[in-house]
This record gives sequence, structure tokens and C-alpha cells, in this order.
Amino acid sequence: MDQNVLDRIKQIVTEHPVVLFMKGTPQFPQCGFSNVAAQALNACGTKFFAVNVLMDPEIFENLKYYANWPTFPQIYINGELIGGADIAKEMYEKGELQQLLAGVKQD
Amino acid sequence: MITKEEIKGYIEGGLSSELVDVSGDDGQHFEAVIVSAEFAGKSRVQRHQLVYKALGSKMGNEIHALSFKTLTPEEWRKQAGA
Repeated sequence: MDQNVLDRIKQIVTEHPVVLFMKGTPQFPQCGFSNVAAQALNACGTKFFAVNVLMDPEIFENLKYYANWPTFPQIYINGELIGGADIAKEMYEKGELQQLLAGVKQD
Repeated sequence: MITKEEIKGYIEGGLSSELVDVSGDDGQHFEAVIVSAEFAGKSRVQRHQLVYKALGSKMGNEIHALSFKTLTPEEWRKQAGA
């Protein structure tokens, strides 16, 4: 665990209201779960800041320690972990993700 | 290669549960429904963290793609009746 990297992660999720840590990019996701998470955010019509963890080895290694969550993708809204693909999909299907994002200041 | 039976065993070993149903036969992609009274009063994130804790370091190593739903016994019954 590298505290400097955890501080960098904290800075990213503090600076941007909606952050998606994913494998690949929203245009070219390199993992089915990352694609589901990006699609859920896109479907809400929200702008979000995407971090491609495959291009950032430090974050790839350390993100699991930040919020005690061992997998990618991870969605943060206002600095708080919302979940991965399963939770994003479930919240979207129930209309909860749209509701949560409606109250968020856009980037 | 990991099997659905092994994943079921890991989850049941680390989390008291009423039901752990794991499907997936390709050794890579698995789906699970997990029913546990320990989920009561917990957020979705906290519920997933309990499951991840039960799986320990296997998650992300031996287990690459596991999608799962977390339900309390009450939510499970409600869903079954719906």
C-alpha cells in the first residue's frame, strides 16, 4: 500500500463529482464490467471523469485499499464509493442512480 | 481453474448465509445470489464488502469475474413472491 497514491486517489475523487475507475475508456472499455458501469453513467446523461486503471499502474495496485473494494470498476460520487458494476446496474434499474446524479454538481 | 462449487464454499465459509447460489461453468465468469441475515441494515457497498471479505485475496486473483446480488432473507422472500 502506497500512501502517496492513496492521497492522489483522494484528490481525484474530491476534485471531480463523479469518477469512474475502469479498465479501458468509456469509448473503448476493456472489460465487460467496466462497460456496464460506464453505460449506466452515460444512460443517466451525466458527465463523469474516467480513469483508465490499465494506464496507471500505481492506481491499479492501490485502489483496492482506498475504500476496501478489491475489484474494478469503482464509481465515486462526491468522494464516496457507490459500488461496482452490479450496484450501478441495480441502482440504474431502480431509478436510484439517476436520482442520486440529479443532485450532483456537474464537472 | 476455479469452480462454482469452490466459490460457494469460500463464501459460505466466511459469511453465515441462508443461500449461496453460484452459476457459471467456464471457470472465468460467475454469477451468484447470496442471501444472508448479516446484510440487514447495511448499504449495498457494505454488503458487497462482506462478500469480498469472505472471498479474501481470491477475489481479483483466482476469481476474475464474479457478479452477485445480495439479499436479506426478508428481501429474498419478497422477491420470490413478486
